[in-house]
Amino acid sequence: MSLRSNDRQWGSVAKFFHWVIALGILGNGLFGLLMDLAHSPMQKINWLALHKSIGLTVLALVLLRIAWRWADRRPPDEPMPRWQRLAAQATHGVLYVLIVLLPLSGWWFNSVTGKPLQWFKQFNLPALVAKNDELRDLAHGVHEYLFWFLLLVLVAHVGGALKHHVFDNDNVLRRMLPFGRLRARSPSEGDQP
Amino acid sequence: MKRLAILLLSLALPCAAVAADYTVQPAGSTLGFSNTFQGESFNGQFGQWAAAISYDPANLASSKFDVEVTLASVKTGDADRDGALPGPDFFDTAKFPKAHFVTTGFRQSGGKVIADGTLTLRGVTKPVSLEVTFKPQAGGATLDVAGTVKRLDFGVGTGDYADTSVIGGDVKVIAHLQLAPK
Repeated sequence: MSLRSNDRQWGSVAKFFHWVIALGILGNGLFGLLMDLAHSPMQKINWLALHKSIGLTVLALVLLRIAWRWADRRPPDEPMPRWQRLAAQATHGVLYVLIVLLPLSGWWFNSVTGKPLQWFKQFNLPALVAKNDELRDLAHGVHEYLFWFLLLVLVAHVGGALKHHVFDNDNVLRRMLPFGRLRARSPSEGDQP
Repeated sequence: MKRLAILLLSLALPCAAVAADYTVQPAGSTLGFSNTFQGESFNGQFGQWAAAISYDPANLASSKFDVEVTLASVKTGDADRDGALPGPDFFDTAKFPKAHFVTTGFRQSGGKVIADGTLTLRGVTKPVSLEVTFKPQAGGATLDVAGTVKRLDFGVGTGDYADTSVIGGDVKVIAHLQLAPK
């Protein structure tokens, strides 16, 4: 498996970004929703610090991913009806926007509350805007509902991938799986040599 | 006879040179601290405190500071923090409403004046030294003091909060006093 993508499948760099960011966002999103389970204020402070550090890491990975996607080629679409291709492209576009906005909205929320922003106790990042108590609830809402919206779009993304995998028996999912083996041929290519 | 006169004079001199008493002018005077939280420094100010200041740079032996701080009057510019500081984990103002600093002596150190004293905070009394900068000016003087207090020596922020990688352990105490003669 090469680092770069080829005609048949995504390269290992693209796969790495896809799965690490997927795990990071889902895990950190659930973590964020569970913050109130902290049994002490200090534990919540530490959990929030971890949540912010992971979020910043995700944001950095997303930016690197977009840069890589720009430079890398992408495997051509598997044969599918035009509406499916358009739906897939729209879903991918919205997901890209959301995975940038989700961590950025967290950064904005943190800035509005006037709290420090530290990456794994190593260094601090500046606030995006000045502290503003009136925007606190709004920023919190935006940050949280962006995650719910992302989950909604994710249903379409995962549903589409599984539909291709299970019903169409093509390589749409396999070509993005970390250790996935491609089917020898796409079924639509038939058995011709 | 001459010897006796010198002896008497030398005994009388220290009594004559008593440090001047000052009153603190609330306008322009501040007493506060700075520390770090998650790598970012923040400042705190106490709104209510009282200081009895007797000071003469030429007669440090008779100089004295006696300061009492109402801990619940703390403000740090963050509502969460201001809510937590008077609580039992930090100042515990319900049990220990005031902090008290009183000097035990002054000394010169490298061209600077150091006020040695004891700080009583949260029921713990320990020695604390402050650097003193005294500047006479028209109608009185300004007095700046600065020093470091190790918060854990006094049990400020115990348990989970003892983690100094999140909340700094060395708290800088800073006061700027506008003094008028009594």
